[in-house]
Amino acid sequence: MLSRTADNLYWLSRYVERAEYLARILDATQRLTALPLAYVGETNEWESAVATAGCAGAFFKHYDKADEENVTHFLAFSGDNASSIRSCFELARSNARAVRTALTVEMWDAINGTWLELKRYGNGPTSREEFSQFLRWVQESSLRYDGSAYRTMLRNDAYWFSRLGVYIERADNTARILDVKYHLLLPKDEQVGGPLDYFQWAAILRSVSALTAYHWVYRDRLQPWLIADLLILRDEMPRSLASCYQEIVRNLDEIAAAYGRQGPAQRQARGIRTRLQNSRMDGIFQRGLHEFIGEFIGENNRLGSLITEQFLL
Amino acid sequence: MRIRISHATTYTYDAPATVVTQILRLTPRNHDGQYVCDWRLDLSQDCRLHQHEDAFGNITHAFTADGPLAQLTVAVEGEVETQDTNGVVAGTVERFPPQFYLRDTALTQSDAAIVEFAESARGSTADTLAVLHNLLAALNREIAFDTDPTHAATTAAEAFALRRGVCQDLTHIFITAARALGYPARYIGGHFHRADGVTAQEAGHAWAEVHVENLGWVGFDPANGICTTDAHVRVAMGLDYLGAAPVRGARFGGAGEALKVAVRVEQARRQSQS
Repeated sequence: MLSRTADNLYWLSRYVERAEYLARILDATQRLTALPLAYVGETNEWESAVATAGCAGAFFKHYDKADEENVTHFLAFSGDNASSIRSCFELARSNARAVRTALTVEMWDAINGTWLELKRYGNGPTSREEFSQFLRWVQESSLRYDGSAYRTMLRNDAYWFSRLGVYIERADNTARILDVKYHLLLPKDEQVGGPLDYFQWAAILRSVSALTAYHWVYRDRLQPWLIADLLILRDEMPRSLASCYQEIVRNLDEIAAAYGRQGPAQRQARGIRTRLQNSRMDGIFQRGLHEFIGEFIGENNRLGSLITEQFLL
Repeated sequence: MRIRISHATTYTYDAPATVVTQILRLTPRNHDGQYVCDWRLDLSQDCRLHQHEDAFGNITHAFTADGPLAQLTVAVEGEVETQDTNGVVAGTVERFPPQFYLRDTALTQSDAAIVEFAESARGSTADTLAVLHNLLAALNREIAFDTDPTHAATTAAEAFALRRGVCQDLTHIFITAARALGYPARYIGGHFHRADGVTAQEAGHAWAEVHVENLGWVGFDPANGICTTDAHVRVAMGLDYLGAAPVRGARFGGAGEALKVAVRVEQARRQSQS
C-alpha cells in the first residue's frame, strides 16, 4: 500500500472520531450549564469545554469571552478552527476522496452523505433545541461511518490503518477529558463531594458514554477514583486508555505480521500498554493523576509521530 | 524476537484420582523487555478456572477438578514478543521492596561452603555487577549440568556439595550466594529459546534476578552463564522454586502418579526488526 493511502485512511478515521468527541463534549457541557448555578458552582464550563477540546489558544485569538454562543460556534461551525466539527468533516471527506478506491461504497456514502448534509446546517442552528439535534446527528454520522468500516472493509492493511486512527484519537480524547477534569477525581480527603461534584462526575462519564457502564461495572454510587479507574485502566470500557491501547497494539501487530517487519511504533505501543496493564489506581494517585495523564498524552503523541515516520511518510 | 511457546503437563494416575486441586503459575506478564501477544490456557477437564494475582504479582489460575480422573493435562500456548535489554528487567509488577528478597527459605539455606564460594567470587572487587558476573562465571564453571542426581526438593547446599544439578539447582545456589553477600535475589521461572535449533525441551527454564543499586533488577542465567537476553521469557518469580513453581497442587486418590512435561520453544515466523 502507498504510504499516502495509509496516511489518508488514518487521518480520515481520526477526523471522524474527533468530530464525534467534540459533539460529546458540547453535549455534556450543554447539560451541565442547563442546571441551576447552585448545583454546578461558579466555574465557567464553556471555558473548560474549549480546554478539553485542546484549542484554548486558538479560541482566545478570536474571542475575548468563553460563553455559550462563542464556544458552540467555534467548536462546531467555525472555519477558523481547524478542528471544529465542520472542519473535521470537511477534512475527513477530502481524505476519503483522495483514497476513494480504498474505501467501500458504504463508507464513502457515509462520509459523503455527512458532508452534504452538513451544508444544510449552514452557519449553525438558531435554537438550543436545533443545536441538540445537530449534536445527535454528528454522533450518528460517526457511528454510521464507523459501523460501515467495521462491517464492510476487507481485513487488510487499509482496515488496520483506519482502526489505528480511531484508537489513537480516542485515547487522546479520553486523556484530555481527564487532564482538564482531573482535580474533580482526586481521592476523597482532598475534595469534598457534594451535588456540585456529582453533576461534574456524571458529565465526565456522559462525555465518554459511560454513565450506564459505570453502574454495571461498580454497582455503586459515583466515586471519583472509580471513575478514574474506569476511564484509565478498565479493558472492558471501550473508551478507556487501556482498551484503546489493547486495540492499537493488536492493529499494529497485524500490520507488522502482514509486512513481515516491525519497528519503533510497535515497541512504543507495547511499552504504553504494558505500563497501563501493570499500573494500579492507588499507585497512579500516589504519583499524581495529573502527571500520569500529562505523561500519557505525551507518549500517545509520540506514538502518533512514530507511526507517521514509520508508515505514513 | 517473537517466541512461540507451548508447555503441556500431563498427569496419569494408576488408580484414578477423585479430586485434583492445583494452582498454576503458567501465564507471563508484560514488562519492558517482553510483551505477551497471545496466550491461552487449556485444561483437559471441565472445571472453573479462577484467575488471581499472588503476593509477588504473578498471575495464578486455580482450579478443582472432580474425578474420577485417569489423566489430566494442563497446557498453555502462546506467543511472546521479546527485546534484549542487556539483562536489566524494568517495568515489572513489584509488590515488595527489594529488601524483601534477602529472605532465605528452606531451599536456599546457605551453608559454610556456599558462603566461602561467594566470598571467593567477590575477592576484593567492589563493583556489584563485577562481583555478580564473577559469581555467574564461577558457578557455570564449577557446577556440572546433570539431570540425574537432583530432584525438585534438592536444596542449594545439597546441590552445591554434589557439584552438579539442573538449572533450578544452579539458580538456587546463585540466589543463596548473592543473598550471602547482601544482595536481594529472587528465583525466576520461565522459558529459554535455544540458539542451537533444539525446540523440544523436557522442562521450563529457571534463572535468577539480583537487585543492583542504581540499576534495578538484573537477570543472571547461571545454567547458560549469561545475563538474560531476548531469548528468555519470564513467567513467574518467587523467593525460590516453590514460590515460582509452574504447578502446585494436591489430590485425593490417584496413587501411582506419573508426570510428563512437554515444552516447545521456537521462533514464530514473523521476525525482522527495523
